[in-house]
Amino acid sequence: MTLSRNRNFSIVAHIDHGKSTLADRLLALTGTMDAKKAVDQVLDSMDLERERGITIKAHTVRLLYKARDGEEYTLNLIDTPGHVDFSYEVSRALAACEGALLIVDAAQGIEAQTLANFYLASDANLTIIPVINKIDLPAADVEGTRLAITETLELDGDEALAISAKHGTGVPEVLEAIVARIPPPAGDPDAPLKALVFDSFYDSYQGVVVYVRLKDGRVRPGTRILLMSNGRAYDVQQVGVFSPDMRPVEELSAGQVGYITASMKRVADAKVGETITEALRPTAEPFPGYRDAKPMVFAGLYPIEDTEYEALRDALEKLRLNDPAFSFEPETSLALGYGFRCGFLGLLHMEIVQERLEREFNLSLIVTAPSVRYRILTTAGELLEIENPSKLPTPDRIEQMEEPYVRSSVFVPTEFMTAIYKLAQEKRGEHQSLEYHGKRVHIRFDFPLAEIVVDFYDKLKSISKGYASFDYEFAEFRPSDLVKLDILLNGDPVDALSIIVHRDKAYEKGKALVEKLRAVIPRQLYEVAIQAAIGSRVIARETVKAMGKNVTAKCYGGDITRKRKLLERQKEGKKRMKQVGRVEVPQEAFLSVLKS
Amino acid sequence: MTGAASPDQAVGGLTEMLAGSPPRSDALGFYLHVPFCAARCHYCSFNTAPLEDGALARYLGALHRELDLLAELPWAPRVRIATVFLGGGTPSLLEADQLAAVLDRLRARFDVAADAEVTVECNPESVTRAKLAGYRAAGVTRVSLGVQSLDDAVLPRLGRLHDAGGARAAFAAAREAGVANVSVDLMYGLPGLDVAGFARAVEAVLAWGPEHLSAYGLTLDAGSLWGAAGVAGLPPEDTVVGQYWALARAAARRGLEHYEISNYARPGFRSLHNQVYWRAAEYLAAGPGACGFVGALRYANVKATPRYGEALEAGRLPVDSWEELTPRQRLGERLILGLRTSDGVPRAWLDERLAGDAALARRVGDWRARELLVDAAGRVRLTEAGFLLSDALFVDLL
Ligand SMILES: Nc1nc2c(ncn2[C@@H]2O[C@H](COP(=O)(O)OP(=O)(O)OP(=O)(O)O)[C@@H](O)[C@H]2O)c(=O)[nH]1
Ligand code: SF4
Ligand SMILES: [Mg+2]
Repeated sequence: MTLSRNRNFSIVAHIDHGKSTLADRLLALTGTMDAKKAVDQVLDSMDLERERGITIKAHTVRLLYKARDGEEYTLNLIDTPGHVDFSYEVSRALAACEGALLIVDAAQGIEAQTLANFYLASDANLTIIPVINKIDLPAADVEGTRLAITETLELDGDEALAISAKHGTGVPEVLEAIVARIPPPAGDPDAPLKALVFDSFYDSYQGVVVYVRLKDGRVRPGTRILLMSNGRAYDVQQVGVFSPDMRPVEELSAGQVGYITASMKRVADAKVGETITEALRPTAEPFPGYRDAKPMVFAGLYPIEDTEYEALRDALEKLRLNDPAFSFEPETSLALGYGFRCGFLGLLHMEIVQERLEREFNLSLIVTAPSVRYRILTTAGELLEIENPSKLPTPDRIEQMEEPYVRSSVFVPTEFMTAIYKLAQEKRGEHQSLEYHGKRVHIRFDFPLAEIVVDFYDKLKSISKGYASFDYEFAEFRPSDLVKLDILLNGDPVDALSIIVHRDKAYEKGKALVEKLRAVIPRQLYEVAIQAAIGSRVIARETVKAMGKNVTAKCYGGDITRKRKLLERQKEGKKRMKQVGRVEVPQEAFLSVLKS
Repeated sequence: MTGAASPDQAVGGLTEMLAGSPPRSDALGFYLHVPFCAARCHYCSFNTAPLEDGALARYLGALHRELDLLAELPWAPRVRIATVFLGGGTPSLLEADQLAAVLDRLRARFDVAADAEVTVECNPESVTRAKLAGYRAAGVTRVSLGVQSLDDAVLPRLGRLHDAGGARAAFAAAREAGVANVSVDLMYGLPGLDVAGFARAVEAVLAWGPEHLSAYGLTLDAGSLWGAAGVAGLPPEDTVVGQYWALARAAARRGLEHYEISNYARPGFRSLHNQVYWRAAEYLAAGPGACGFVGALRYANVKATPRYGEALEAGRLPVDSWEELTPRQRLGERLILGLRTSDGVPRAWLDERLAGDAALARRVGDWRARELLVDAAGRVRLTEAGFLLSDALFVDLL
């Protein structure tokens, strides 16, 4: 096996620009996948990916390509997600590659994640091949996109390939360009084993399956391997490649990408970024390693039925096996009982985890309003990190509070600039820079993370008719004038409804929240008073009137079955209610803050 | 288990279902549906259609055949019919001899108790003293008169074909025909009707001295004109609640018992047939769309009158769908039906349902604390305030 005929590359792009569709074409052209049998976006193998039409996890596959020079090449492709919540998947994938295809939608042009992914790839010193996709669309502007690539990215737009991943136009040239432009991996098969773990998943039969990129050396079943960060040793059981399903091979060697199983029990045993070497002949230098994906958004997850607590914990543990970016810790709430405070990369990630828990594990859950992580310096001089608003110390014990800020990029046609600035101002954004790129502008703002996790993206899309794109990354903690807003039902504070807000916005937020709660809390046997308060000061109030009548007038022979079915349906709906004190609160009430 | 008949389903299938589900009790109710009205009221979603030439005769032929087929069920000979109810539609569109023929056929095929309660629903514009006397001679013991309102501004808005005077005359005709047990239907929550207006109608009707009064709060049912198109001028909830209480108080003053959510009776005059429903007891049914309950089986006939006729002409029972209740569903039904009445249910039934469900027990505790639900002599029942909110409890009890 000579390294000169290996190519390792990722496909990166802004969301929906066609990465997975291009991957389909490459699989078909190389005969990896029978074109007739293939479904669209075949690498999007999770149910949720297929339903939502987006990629959530990076997917690896090996292709064998007979190039025009007559040689057969082994191409290792990694399809990556475009959504900002999952950008850490992109960095992991890039670490296993020498090159990247940067896809740009010919009708949309360069967008926020195009730029973000371009920087990730160039920081990783990869060879970048720009690819202009969707040239079949009537709105495609190939020349304009070439120009934008030249001006915005430090790439030569004239070298961009113009393709239609959907129809296959230009895709053969993509394969040729991969062979011609991306360098083969460098590495020494005879040196001690040095492999980078760039992904992993848990399989109940084989234990942890780790995705590796070999820099040097070889690995085969029976090799005794050593994980350099924790010193654990294992005997390799199987090595293999994805084509696209797992296929065992005899050996993986320097420059190659594949998988290893070695009866590891927990994904945490072989973290992404880990260096794997031989136990008997360890390499001298491990990889620098990289920082773990850190949860940015936190929410409480509670079972509606107290009896499902254990089941929820088991489910969270199972999910975590394959999703190291997700964290959870037990917590208790006076209102909701026993549950977990969970950390997510963003709201999409949160929705996906919730959906998987409900669907795959058949749980009914209450999700509390998402919060970010705050830093508090107490008057006693302690530094606290708070992810649950109800845990905030009383104001007299707080010396200073800090909240996380992000650095963000907004790409938008010039005509929407005014609207964007207005929105940014509402969201406490601080303008950093403005660049013109033809008809579009690239604006950089710093935002408090708390302002953008919730409905910012939807608002941005709606005020720009869908044209604005947005990307962000954590910047730093900054001091801020924050207060805790409590919600009281019939005079009792409901801890799970507390939120932390900027003082200037507390009144507006409190008012919106009680209004929203009034709309979602159904009438009960008695009146329900809903109040928003800061400390002991009530700033907004609404009431849900007591139920006046709720009765079926006629119930004779023919009505009985219908009535019972109607009530049974209502009962199904009521299953999503939580009894808080004496008030029945529907599940969506806890997320009201998202919509108010 | 539930099911629906497909057109080509083996004829025997449904008959066998019924045959294999013998009633647990020997005394049954019998409901007969008459699916015709002169015009459709705007709030009505019942199974009824305009009376077209020849349709009545075809329907009656089919009904007779249905009674014959039901009587062939293996367990039919050992059951006794304790109550009969002709509902609709407008059963009073039947001439006295037509009605007599139906009742005769029923008595010929089934053991109908000599003292059976036999009720006919009548609309004021379709009855005369002579017709009612004929009904009585045919064995009818009770008349239920659809008055709905005594406001001549409101009645046409409902699409009713009679006025207040006509209603009053119909009541008098029943008395003159010697009907000793007359029930009057009223509605409240109607557009354009305030609390005082309704209270006046209640007083007026009570002054006629009916043995029984039913009063229904208006609902906009799917399948009715108002349900589809909406209606202007609906009163606010406070008004409807005020009307409910005005009625409850007036009835109490006149010595009528509020024995079911929407029903009042002088002592000794509760509807025996309707109590069959609320006790989750068994009943047979015939006619388009009619529903029966035997053993653990609830079944419903084909609704469309022509298809109903075709099934019977082909010699099949016109059953359209059926459902076998689980023990849990049975208990749920017994609770939510029994609690509609002032007799309530044995406390043990409720306890059985609450066993092991602490959250539900807490909520039921709330109902007791607020005196919506009360305990007496080993039974539990809803109070009049409880009736008004009853569905909120029933959802939980199922
Ligand atoms: N007209 C046209 N549509 C395309 C082309 N390539 C992809 N699409 C469509 O664009 C949409 C998104 O394609 P995907 O391949 O799922 O995009 P992606 O970049 O993988 O998206 P994420 O993984 O969610 O970031 C799908 O509806 C595709 O059918 C193309 O060349 N022409
Ligand atoms: S008379 Fe009765 S069944 Fe006939 S349309 Fe009116 S409400 Fe309906
Ligand atoms: Mg994709």
